[in-house]
Amino acid sequence: MSVLVFLEFNDNELKVTSKQALTYANGINKNVYAISQSKISNDVMESLGKFGVSIFLINTVDFQENNILKCIIPTIEEFKINCIIFPKTNSFSYLSSILSTKLNFPLINNVNSVARFENKICLKSTIFSGKAEVDIEIDSNSCILVLNKNIINSVSYNKSVEIKNLINKNDNSLSNNVVSLRKEKLEGDILLSDADIVVSAGRGLKGPENWKMIEKLAKILNAGTACSKPVSDAGWRPHHEHVGQTGLKISPNIYIAVGISGAIQHLAGVNSSKIIVVINNDPEAPFFKHADYGIIGDAFDVIPKFIDALK
Amino acid sequence: MNILICISCVPDTTSTISFVNDDKKFNSDGVQYIIGPYEDYALARAVELKEKDNSINISVLNVGLERNDPLLRKALAIGADDAYRIDVFPNDSLFVAHQISSFINENPFDIILMGKESIDFNAGQVHHITGSLLGIPSLSPVTQLDLNSNKNKILIKKEIDNGIETLEVVLPAVLGCQEPIAEWKIPNMRGIMNARTKPLKVIDQFECGSKINYKKYSLPEKKDNLIIIDENNINELVVALKLKNL
Repeated sequence: MSVLVFLEFNDNELKVTSKQALTYANGINKNVYAISQSKISNDVMESLGKFGVSIFLINTVDFQENNILKCIIPTIEEFKINCIIFPKTNSFSYLSSILSTKLNFPLINNVNSVARFENKICLKSTIFSGKAEVDIEIDSNSCILVLNKNIINSVSYNKSVEIKNLINKNDNSLSNNVVSLRKEKLEGDILLSDADIVVSAGRGLKGPENWKMIEKLAKILNAGTACSKPVSDAGWRPHHEHVGQTGLKISPNIYIAVGISGAIQHLAGVNSSKIIVVINNDPEAPFFKHADYGIIGDAFDVIPKFIDALK
Repeated sequence: MNILICISCVPDTTSTISFVNDDKKFNSDGVQYIIGPYEDYALARAVELKEKDNSINISVLNVGLERNDPLLRKALAIGADDAYRIDVFPNDSLFVAHQISSFINENPFDIILMGKESIDFNAGQVHHITGSLLGIPSLSPVTQLDLNSNKNKILIKKEIDNGIETLEVVLPAVLGCQEPIAEWKIPNMRGIMNARTKPLKVIDQFECGSKINYKKYSLPEKKDNLIIIDENNINELVVALKLKNL
């Protein structure tokens, strides 16, 4: 197995999910290739050895279909890579799909266990939005795996990184049928899917004007803010904050749910969080059955006390 | 203009998930199946576009078994004009995308709408794989869709990491949709009556193998160690979370 990992950086810092993907890859083969779409400095490239990169492929192109065909696929073929690993992110969904069809590698998403490579590839994947999982056997000796967050803790390595260039085949360019007109940044500094801590609130907060204390708590914890579906449906919070079965699925280290009863659809989006803290004035709220820590009390009393305790 | 909506037929979001046959098979006893919530949004947007321009034809397609026919009828009642079902179990993303792209090769469409993901296997890749197999653009998750006046291009909004991107796309294209692209539509009595006579065609599967086998299902471990903390002693929680080094 020759392994390639696609990495994501936030400025010049390697994202946690990418570090985890590198540790996962080292468990398959110590000789790990890595590539990224982000422009990073030489210093950063050389420092990637401590996260487990053996060979870093310098990439100067965007991961658009043209470039995938012209550079990425010839490189994968040249280095005889037969296992490609992605951390699960929105932007890698397109790339992993294209690589799967063009290379004819089977593609498994939502991987949540280590993979065993025998004459078949065996691993587990979450299904039904985290309500269940399934043991999968792949009849192939090549694969593309998209990893769930937090299925493995990243470890340190002591490698020196070899830097290579991508192969660049001149191919007939495809016509570009997609034109980006503009990009708008959403409010909030912390990307929900990257956040290690998430503070989430539901209808129990009674109205959008009461979110100030949630935002304050999130700021102190350096956490992302999320909400339940009824809250985003009512327009109290923007749609992209909605976590649950039909919203974003997240698995932070700590998920703090305030005034959310814990309907099965909501749980589906958050039940793979490492630690769940539930704050609710109803001791019968179903969410308590799925929590590690519970506080039975009115959010309007508890949150200010929580903020004080953190100070 | 022809729009195709590819729907998944999945257990209702409130379903309790369980397995039978030594955990080798999903237990569908008492499970209510629904049109995938994301495809419901996609269908609603297509019907809105048709309400403005009646020359648009809306087809729905499901890759799945006979039990899904009532849901295809429901899509017809909501406003689709014709329905197709490719009669085979939808094993995995690549397999389903092969079925859909083979169907589209025989029956061209201008816009192919799907949900951003099915809520059973959640891979969210059928749209991209279908686009790749057909050699046309695929975009997801799309939250807004409008046609230009010549109906040869669409203007869409798509979620990206920490932002929204507005794009212009030359048709044909495949889109993975999510709210708030439209409000869900509930079929009215006239729609339900009309749906009875609209065509629902069952098609044999297109030959295509799959390399992915499901051996055994399981449920995640339940948490049973809830620690209740008094709201007047919240320091206990802060200390506990710090001890976990999180």
